[in-house]
Amino acid sequence: MSSHREAPEISKDPVADSTDLYAFVSPDKPDTVTIIANYVPLESPAGGPNFYEFGDDVLYEINIDNNGDGKAEIIYQFTFANQVTNANTFLYNTGPIQSLTDTNWNRRQTYSVTRVDMPGAKKQVLGKGLASPPCNIGPLSTPNYPALAGAAIQTLPGGGQVFAGQRAEGFFVDLGAIFDLGILRPFEAAHATFGLANTGLGAMAAGVNSTNGVNVHSIALQLPKSQVTKGGATPSDANSPSSVIGVWTSASRQKARVLKASNGTDVVSGPYVQVSRLGNPLVNEVVVPMSKKDYWNAQPPVNDKQFAAAVLNPELAQLLPVLYPNVFPNLAAYNKGAPKRDDLVAIFHTGLPSGVVSGFQNSMGTTQADMLRLNLAIPPKTSGASNLGLLGGDVAGYPNGRRLFDDVVTIALRAVAGATLPLVDKSFTADAAATAITDGLTTDGNDLTARGNESYLAAFPYLGVPHSGFAAGTS
Amino acid sequence: MNDDDVERPSLSRRLFLQRGSLAVAAAGVASAIPGLTSALTTAESEAPATEAVVADEATATMTEPLVAHVRDLASGEIGLYSGTREVVFHDPTLANRLFNATR
Repeated sequence: MSSHREAPEISKDPVADSTDLYAFVSPDKPDTVTIIANYVPLESPAGGPNFYEFGDDVLYEINIDNNGDGKAEIIYQFTFANQVTNANTFLYNTGPIQSLTDTNWNRRQTYSVTRVDMPGAKKQVLGKGLASPPCNIGPLSTPNYPALAGAAIQTLPGGGQVFAGQRAEGFFVDLGAIFDLGILRPFEAAHATFGLANTGLGAMAAGVNSTNGVNVHSIALQLPKSQVTKGGATPSDANSPSSVIGVWTSASRQKARVLKASNGTDVVSGPYVQVSRLGNPLVNEVVVPMSKKDYWNAQPPVNDKQFAAAVLNPELAQLLPVLYPNVFPNLAAYNKGAPKRDDLVAIFHTGLPSGVVSGFQNSMGTTQADMLRLNLAIPPKTSGASNLGLLGGDVAGYPNGRRLFDDVVTIALRAVAGATLPLVDKSFTADAAATAITDGLTTDGNDLTARGNESYLAAFPYLGVPHSGFAAGTS
Repeated sequence: MNDDDVERPSLSRRLFLQRGSLAVAAAGVASAIPGLTSALTTAESEAPATEAVVADEATATMTEPLVAHVRDLASGEIGLYSGTREVVFHDPTLANRLFNATR
């Protein structure tokens, strides 16, 4: 998945597991940037009686680099607290929850937002005791969910908005196929099948969205561009490196924990240590080897040069010609040499400098750091957008930041398969399959709903209303 | 967010013993490891009467738990966690006494 359960240790700690990160110029407010960091993968909407929530012992951060050093100049910190209004019931709610202050709501979360400006760690508390909405349970418990959750959108001092709570999962991927030894349903007839017979493979089919119908917990920020850029400028020159910001999210826990120490409660103590992070989708998932995934999660992006070898010669690029014989002959021949995928280093680690793609750049320099790099001077594409982003000729999409509807699985597959290699190696000709390969979850480049599976909102926080527990599995 | 270990050699062993004994008890570890509480109590009782300053500090109210992690017996490296701080403390004698308390 993008980054759901992508590393062995963090897969055991879902509230700290960053699943997706989005950063885009807000389509309805183009003077602002929207950043969404998702946590808690694969929430079953009916998962009561203890419905999902953020970790009250986790420090969540959205980090912004605005000078290209691979370090955060601006950090937005989020911490959560739980309140139980009735200790004598097992119920999440004892009646319909009709407002964020409804006494029927028994277990609720509030959160604080703090902006930290570096260097110097100057802190500004932007909000305390902000309400996170309840989960979407069903027609009796949460009868008017869109309005209830909408009331949890908070205005930030100095401009901007924040929301933290449950949302419908917006990422789409055919997990069942891709992790069954690289099956891509639209091309399964071409799979080598490891010599197995009677596998049932053979039909050319659309993909199956494995994340359809599940929820996630989102931290969403919408900020004036001037609040995230160096010197408070509002970028207007798309060719300027200063128009680009790098974004990543991280989750940290305190170093020491004693379970049930006294009074049946846990003791946590010590400095926060990072246990999860996410910039570009799929990098830790399918580029970093398993033995280093949790280590990668604990590292700051500025140290990412140590992972460059896995990017320069990714395992998946080696596997594709083996799994799909004769489909990627040019990639197979390239792999037999000394692969040096500078195209992938540019996409994942440095951004694309000017001159690689005509009229586009999202580079702040040569520091290797896995961040979503967003050129804030490029306006949002409000019509004719491509879910293939830059590969589809849409410079407002991934890898220029990431929008909800960007088909990052297909983009990454095509890039790894060699579609972007000619950008940096003129001697290489991409295989025809490299520009046709797909996860099968979009009908074409203009499909912004993942075959109708995703119902994004037109306004902040953009991710759809979470799926109701009562309705789960009925459609 | 990564916080590097902080070396605090100036932290007195006596202060650690007295604060640590309280903190470990508060964290519930002492009751879980037979002998540890008595070992720490013994250590406190052995404090020279002249360390009046330390004794005064030890009477301060502990407002948050303190967790100790004995990392290495040979060097006596002990990690102390309190609030959002980590202090690395070296005392082979203390480390071994804590270790022996668990035997």
